[in-house]
Amino acid sequence: MTPLAPNQSNNEARAAIMQSIRAHLASSPTIELIHAPVIANEQVAAVAHESSPVETFVERLESVGGHCLVVRDEADAAAALADIVSALQGSTSASRVALSDASLIARLTQGLEVEMAVSPAAADLFNYDIGISTAQAGITETGTLILEAEKERNRLVSLLPPVHIAVVNSRDLHLTIGDALAALRHENSLSRAITFITGPSRTADIELTLTVGVHGPKELHVIIIDDGSIAPSKSD
Amino acid sequence: MEHLTSETFDSNARAALDDAQLRGALRNATSLFGKRRLAAAQSVSNWEGLRSKARSIKDETLLQLDKYLEEFTANAERAGAQIHWARDGAEANEIVKRIVRERNGRLVVKAKSMTTEEIHLNAALEAVGVEALETDLGEYIVQLAGETPSHIIAPAIHKTRYQIADLFVDKLGIAPTDDIATLTATARAVLRGKFAAADIGVSGVNFGVAETGTILILENEGNIRLTTSVPKTHIAVMGIEKVIPRFADLEVFLKLLPRSGTGQHLTSYQSLITGTKRDSDGEGPDELHILLLDNGRSRMLAHPTTRQSLACIRCGACLNACPVYQQIGGHAYGSVYPGPIGAVITPQLIGLKKAAQLPYASSLCGACREVCPVKIDIPELLLHLRAEITEKSQAGDRTSAASKPKTSERLSFKAWAAVMTRPRLYEFSARMARFFQRLIVKGNRIGKVEGLMAALAPPLAAWTSVRDLRPIEAKSFREQWREQSLP
Repeated sequence: MTPLAPNQSNNEARAAIMQSIRAHLASSPTIELIHAPVIANEQVAAVAHESSPVETFVERLESVGGHCLVVRDEADAAAALADIVSALQGSTSASRVALSDASLIARLTQGLEVEMAVSPAAADLFNYDIGISTAQAGITETGTLILEAEKERNRLVSLLPPVHIAVVNSRDLHLTIGDALAALRHENSLSRAITFITGPSRTADIELTLTVGVHGPKELHVIIIDDGSIAPSKSD
Repeated sequence: MEHLTSETFDSNARAALDDAQLRGALRNATSLFGKRRLAAAQSVSNWEGLRSKARSIKDETLLQLDKYLEEFTANAERAGAQIHWARDGAEANEIVKRIVRERNGRLVVKAKSMTTEEIHLNAALEAVGVEALETDLGEYIVQLAGETPSHIIAPAIHKTRYQIADLFVDKLGIAPTDDIATLTATARAVLRGKFAAADIGVSGVNFGVAETGTILILENEGNIRLTTSVPKTHIAVMGIEKVIPRFADLEVFLKLLPRSGTGQHLTSYQSLITGTKRDSDGEGPDELHILLLDNGRSRMLAHPTTRQSLACIRCGACLNACPVYQQIGGHAYGSVYPGPIGAVITPQLIGLKKAAQLPYASSLCGACREVCPVKIDIPELLLHLRAEITEKSQAGDRTSAASKPKTSERLSFKAWAAVMTRPRLYEFSARMARFFQRLIVKGNRIGKVEGLMAALAPPLAAWTSVRDLRPIEAKSFREQWREQSLP
């Protein structure tokens, strides 16, 4: 695709807008800036005291309609994945599964007896029933998954099929949105496309009635691999 | 359908007040959003601190908007985005049309964007034979019906499921149904075909981060992810005020915007897009065009009061809180931006002449200011604009449609001021009024008494036609005070 030719009128527009901004700011009476204090995240800290990050993550994600399973290791994760897929085969006659290109997903789906394809083309992907990917990270306080498109071909498999199954490691959970943003920012370079996912696709545009699966997945299943090495829950 | 304009606000509002179905829908929506907002705000321990922080970030940005725009565009370009600048809506539409034409685009899918509503992009594209399809469910319904959105975050709240079902039967040929899930699934099926076929996706932008060149867009449905992932070309239309300095600043806004808008802790999806993909085989569009739009925004920088308008993050909380919006809904404002924020932004965007009634569409109760996540003092802005309108009309601006105060009104206020600043004259006037009111008081009420009041005093009849006016009491407070305290 050829980039647009440099455009004379656009340079003019840029100069005119910048000039207008500077002139109007210069003509403005001055006011003192109020510098607000940095926000302490007391609420999340309180939650974190009551339960482990994994428990909080699960509670938050389930409160917005996501389904969660906490497993100890990869073998359990593969079994959980097989259970979810076979249940969907029974209930919705799901038959085609699209996978991201993550090596973890390849390992976990080895034994699945279902039609599978790794990262099909977008046009084809519209006809798949289930998409499986990992998430690079999560946010505990909101039950959010963070998908980075540069680390895995997860952008479309997590979006086009009506069911998305995601696998995340408990070590990759950040307590707050702020922690997650800081971690993303402090990588060598910011991923070009990052998606935060909190629950299934939803709308309330008709009579304020909640309906899931309007454009994105109707169901979101999250398998959390938690070997218990991080902040064991009180019940353990 | 004929679209209403701001110039006829008074009659628009009167018509809306007679629409019982609309008022029921508004009551449900505004009270539900209001309750959810309150609960969500209470889930944060330091809501006030967050609001102050957000406002200070916006103030800091706006005072150096040129610098942050330079930084934003340089970083976005470095990541592969192409930046375009538009002084007004016409220029913005020309740029979008040129990008679409150069790619032989026939079908544009659109994610919900108030900014593209503001510049009437759909009409501009359709005029050159390009189909521009709204994909947000509410926006899709409204577009299919040939209407305009009535609420910033719930565009179709003015319609019932039955009206939407009739619309889908008529336009999409579905079997009659009143099941909301079926209606939603119908829209999903139709629109997926469109996403697969679309050449270009057009979105808005919630925040643009200067230090990284990132654009962030929030949503619940997934249509924005589709719009920005599936077509080969993505065009993001962004008001110049959407820039914020740092990536870390997103935290504050991610906490405030969903809570204020829908009462969610976070919306289902956030897309954080920084330029184009590094790997040409990677997923997502080949091209990202970011179109920066002024369209009257830079003018608002000229005064601290008007500058506040640019801090708005388009959450819609002020609409839900406003006793005027709650009764008349969004269409009556006749503008793209309705409610209290619409009443202050619209006159600044399209000119005081065309929207002179909007700054008066408020009781100045201050509910909007209370809920605003960035602490915009909307009542102060309304008064500022009213003052401008009055100054213009007093300066003899005959062309102005601004409500020019009548001579009788000006004289009344002069007389009022004279009486109120002279205690003896005030007491004398009160005694006279008490004496003469006997002529028009019946059953301890003034007005609505056999039409007597209306017949006697036409300018005052406007007040008494819809409410009671209490008569002056037999003894004034001053008189009672003197009797009590003097020996």
